[in-house]
Amino acid sequence: MKAFETFHPIVLFSFFVATIGLSMIFMHPVYLTITIFSAISLNIALRRQLFFKDWKLYVPLFFLMAIINPMISHNGQLVLLYVNGNAITVEAILYGIAIATMIVAIMLWFSCYNVMMTSDKFIYLFGKVSPALSLTLSISLRLVPRFKHQLTQIVQAQKVIGMDFTTGSLWHRIKCTVRILSILITWALDNAIDTADSMKARGYGVKKRTAFSIFIFERRDGFVLAMIILLFFSNLVASFIGTTTYYFYPTFGAVKWDMTSILFYISYVILLSIPLVFEIWGALKWRSLKSTM
Amino acid sequence: MQKNIRLIISFIVILVFIPLSLYAGITIFADRKYYFVSIVIMILACVPFFLSFERRKPQPREILVIAVMSAISVAGRALFVVTPGFKPVAAITAITGFSLGAEAGFLTGAISALVSNMFFGQGPWTPFQMFMWGMIGFIAGLLGKTRLMHKKIPLILFGIFAGIFFSFGMDVWGTISMYGVFSWKAYALALTSAVPFMIIYCISNVIFLLLLAKPISEKLDRIKNKYGILQ
Repeated sequence: MKAFETFHPIVLFSFFVATIGLSMIFMHPVYLTITIFSAISLNIALRRQLFFKDWKLYVPLFFLMAIINPMISHNGQLVLLYVNGNAITVEAILYGIAIATMIVAIMLWFSCYNVMMTSDKFIYLFGKVSPALSLTLSISLRLVPRFKHQLTQIVQAQKVIGMDFTTGSLWHRIKCTVRILSILITWALDNAIDTADSMKARGYGVKKRTAFSIFIFERRDGFVLAMIILLFFSNLVASFIGTTTYYFYPTFGAVKWDMTSILFYISYVILLSIPLVFEIWGALKWRSLKSTM
Repeated sequence: MQKNIRLIISFIVILVFIPLSLYAGITIFADRKYYFVSIVIMILACVPFFLSFERRKPQPREILVIAVMSAISVAGRALFVVTPGFKPVAAITAITGFSLGAEAGFLTGAISALVSNMFFGQGPWTPFQMFMWGMIGFIAGLLGKTRLMHKKIPLILFGIFAGIFFSFGMDVWGTISMYGVFSWKAYALALTSAVPFMIIYCISNVIFLLLLAKPISEKLDRIKNKYGILQ
């Protein structure tokens, strides 16, 4: 069940812009913990087995990044040991871990983005801002599978006349491949002109372009969008008054635990867990519906 | 005349806007948020090209030709998915730039990056790839006017240049994402560790340019002359 995915594309897009943008800026331990845990839980909720497959990539990446920083940076006061006269400090190690956490969290958010923001949603959204460009984008997206299909036909036809690119000497193979590509491009360009002329004949550019879409902006979309914007700004306020600032050098700053800071931490938690809440809520609803059937 | 104005605007953007936003990013964010600032700069750098394309109200034929060339380079990237770094995208973008001009070159490169990442997955690297491939197409477009690229030696040199250029650009992102802040020491480290990739980029660019430059540019020129587009 993917409940958050059914929201209007603008809601999804603003959520990811807010989340990824803020995750890139905040280097505060509390904020990093929040973002990595929400990213992991949303990933598990959305991708399940796929997420555990990706783990093999993320863990070495994490350790690699955590190791690189203390090798290059020698700032900090808590010196552990000296390697070739350069200090390896606790601050640099923890800063490396912080950076690694941030990068892995952003990667995880992007993999959620790739599940939820499918290309049709992206093109729908940018068709309003930039119609010509999004038209180019959507035509190009459509052409890729079409070219693949045409490519197999060309390859088969060439095989019949003895230009099989899978056999023969290397030079023969290269010659055949270039020939196949060349045929494809000739076909594609002439075909494109046909399409363009028929677009023109049907009145492209006379009025504003209309596009079919199945996305309707409902009341719940407005509600969630308002919530995202509100929480985004409250986190910006937190950034301006300095709640999100944390120093690793020359030595660690203090993590604040007063009332205002805790409230700001909570607002960040709420912002990042919006999709997760809808996923869990949708799953529970589905289960109760199934049990009453 | 109109074409010259577009070229001047592009130059102003590259030489003035980007350094300015870099400076603003460093002063406002107090030298810390490299990761965020670099991505914003990359997106900003692409916007003027898209804007000028949008404002011009392009004809369907221009849109289709750019879409076709991007789709071919995406299909090429998918075809060579097993060989890391060995991709025809830069070469096809450059050839489009040679024949159809700087703007079409930039758009082909940028759209190829965006569309191919719709198949392979978007990430924080998307704006960097868009800009880097776009710039390869743009530079190719500027060079294409000189008719120098019909000879083999300049073509080989351009392929090597495009490989090094792409590698240097992507390593800026690599440095920032691995190290968190940008320092020349870390950048040098990233560059030296990426030398094998740089060599693969250069070799693949040279091979694809030598093989494809003549047939594809002949076809593009034919379409250009026959239907009078993107003159």
